Amino acid sequence: MSEHEVLIRLERVSKVFDDGTVAVKELDLDIEEGAFVCLLGPSGCGKTTTLRMIAGLEHPTTGEIYLRGERITHWPPQRRKAGMVFQSYALFEHMTVHDNLAFGLKARRVPRRQVRERVRSMARQLELDDVLRVRASRVDLSTMQRVAVGRTLLAEPDVLLLDEPLNNFQAGLREQMRVQLKSWQYQFGRTMVYVTHDQEEAMTLGDRIVVMRDGQVEQIGEPAEVYRYPTTLFVAGFIGLPPMNFLPARFDASAGRLTMAGAGVEVDASSLRLDRALEEMVVGVRPGHLSPAEEEGADGRPRIRGRVELVRPTAAKTILDVKAEGGQTVRALVPSPFSTAPGDPITLAFEPRHLVVFDPSTKRRIS
Amino acid sequence: MSRGRYRTGRPWLRLLVATVVVLVVLGPVVWLASLSFKPPEEWLAGRPTIIPRDPTATNYLVLFAPGLPGGAIGEALRAAQPVNRALINSLLVAPISTLLSVAIGFLGAYGVSRFRVGGNFLPFSVLATRMFPPIAFAVPLLVYYRTLGLIDTRLGLILMYTASTLAFSLWLLKGFIDGVPRHIEEAALLDGASHWRVLFTITLPLVRGGLAATALFVFIMNWTEFLFALIFTSRTAVTVPVQLSQYVGTVGRFYGPQAALGMVASLPVLVAGYAIQRFLVRAFTFGLVK
Repeated sequence: MSEHEVLIRLERVSKVFDDGTVAVKELDLDIEEGAFVCLLGPSGCGKTTTLRMIAGLEHPTTGEIYLRGERITHWPPQRRKAGMVFQSYALFEHMTVHDNLAFGLKARRVPRRQVRERVRSMARQLELDDVLRVRASRVDLSTMQRVAVGRTLLAEPDVLLLDEPLNNFQAGLREQMRVQLKSWQYQFGRTMVYVTHDQEEAMTLGDRIVVMRDGQVEQIGEPAEVYRYPTTLFVAGFIGLPPMNFLPARFDASAGRLTMAGAGVEVDASSLRLDRALEEMVVGVRPGHLSPAEEEGADGRPRIRGRVELVRPTAAKTILDVKAEGGQTVRALVPSPFSTAPGDPITLAFEPRHLVVFDPSTKRRIS
Repeated sequence: MSRGRYRTGRPWLRLLVATVVVLVVLGPVVWLASLSFKPPEEWLAGRPTIIPRDPTATNYLVLFAPGLPGGAIGEALRAAQPVNRALINSLLVAPISTLLSVAIGFLGAYGVSRFRVGGNFLPFSVLATRMFPPIAFAVPLLVYYRTLGLIDTRLGLILMYTASTLAFSLWLLKGFIDGVPRHIEEAALLDGASHWRVLFTITLPLVRGGLAATALFVFIMNWTEFLFALIFTSRTAVTVPVQLSQYVGTVGRFYGPQAALGMVASLPVLVAGYAIQRFLVRAFTFGLVK
């Protein structure tokens, strides 16, 4: 079976709840075998509903869902081979860890001896041997997560669905669990669909990111691609921290130059590879692409001149809010330590090839 | 939560409050117990004592064998029905109707909670059966029961009690089932379990405290129900509360035997309550399940 075979296909799937809320609108999505797909978006964007429709816990109002080409749109969850790890882990609290792990096998009438062996082997892989006899409600959070993952994996699902499973963890542990999750994917080789609102999590975990908003897909792509070439203003602003700077610009067709009055800078339009030339455009530049430079330089890079408004040092980088001469505030991410104080003059240079240009009316990328 | 946080005030004040509470709560019980061992002369004595001056078991004896004891009580109650039959009736009718009510209530509550069976109408209409004074149903039901031959039968009472407590079972259990996180059931479904399996291996164990509390509550209602029992039974199917009323009859007021029967009647409730105590604790800590 080829690596890029489509495992799950959502075709123009919409979900309207009884109260009239449109959770998902005309969603098209292919999930390839073995992929780690992250559904990313702000809360209420329909990512969890999408996951639940793949699981069979919700049924689409319109549209179809296919598993290996077979239509499963209205199959009940028991018939699908989809495993799900819930945000709350949804452990069976009145049972021991062992019984939690064995539940699915027993429900599927696997012979007793085999149940014991498979539970034991899974417990070994997830380091749960010591807590098998402990009640599921008594173990700590990270153990709960391992139980939830183990319980789901034992059912040998075609796809593992994870609904913000790291939300309950504090920052340090979260990082550890991310590493853990990623390694499990290699270890168990399952297709995973992962829902999160945390862009950093999506960037580190996903092979592919599906950015959603208001029930619709904004962009699907590899993390680097989504970061570098956001297709819409929303994606550009949602991915990346601190968020991208958006500079309103006017295009002078005769001179072939793009003027960003707010930032007090202009660039040669020929370096931007524009699809279309509009009179009004929005230019996006990542804070990390703005670097401190001498006031005048021979390198020919466009420069934004202004005064430092706010300095926020973090361990590796320092975030600068700079009030440009044109009046707009831009944000730059410079290496730490960076010695400056509010009020200091500063010059920031950038490479025109790093700019992303959007059409302000359609909010889509045109460069 | 630290228990000590609520310990305020001086020790003697706490003792005083505790004493008053105990007196108020247990006073009537002590009084009943005391009365049940008193001979007729002491029932209405001008200066009653807690410990009977002349303790006797006649009040208990006369319940089970009305003709046996001599004296004034035995004489007066010679024609009374022994309490045995009422006890057996109550011990059959109350638990069976409780079981039925809770079982039907549980399944109904599950359907209402998880599948919204009947929308808002069903749970409300079940509750509506309790919005009328029960006596309002008495005459029409009497006609039904006569036609169906259910008058003065245990089956008649069981049906009546099951129906009349169903509203409580359903609503109480709905609350407990609502408290079971949906995700837990969904996880079980995704693990390949059928709805029935989920219901019995996941939901039921998780709400068993609530089931116990509901069952106890319904059992007490059924055990003490008087009105319907009085109207729909005459001889064969009389229950303990009806029997109890017979000791305050036209031939006089028999406080002693009445107190004795009161004591006997409270036993099953005490036993039931004690037996399910550990489940009740779970019911009250149920909110911790998330």
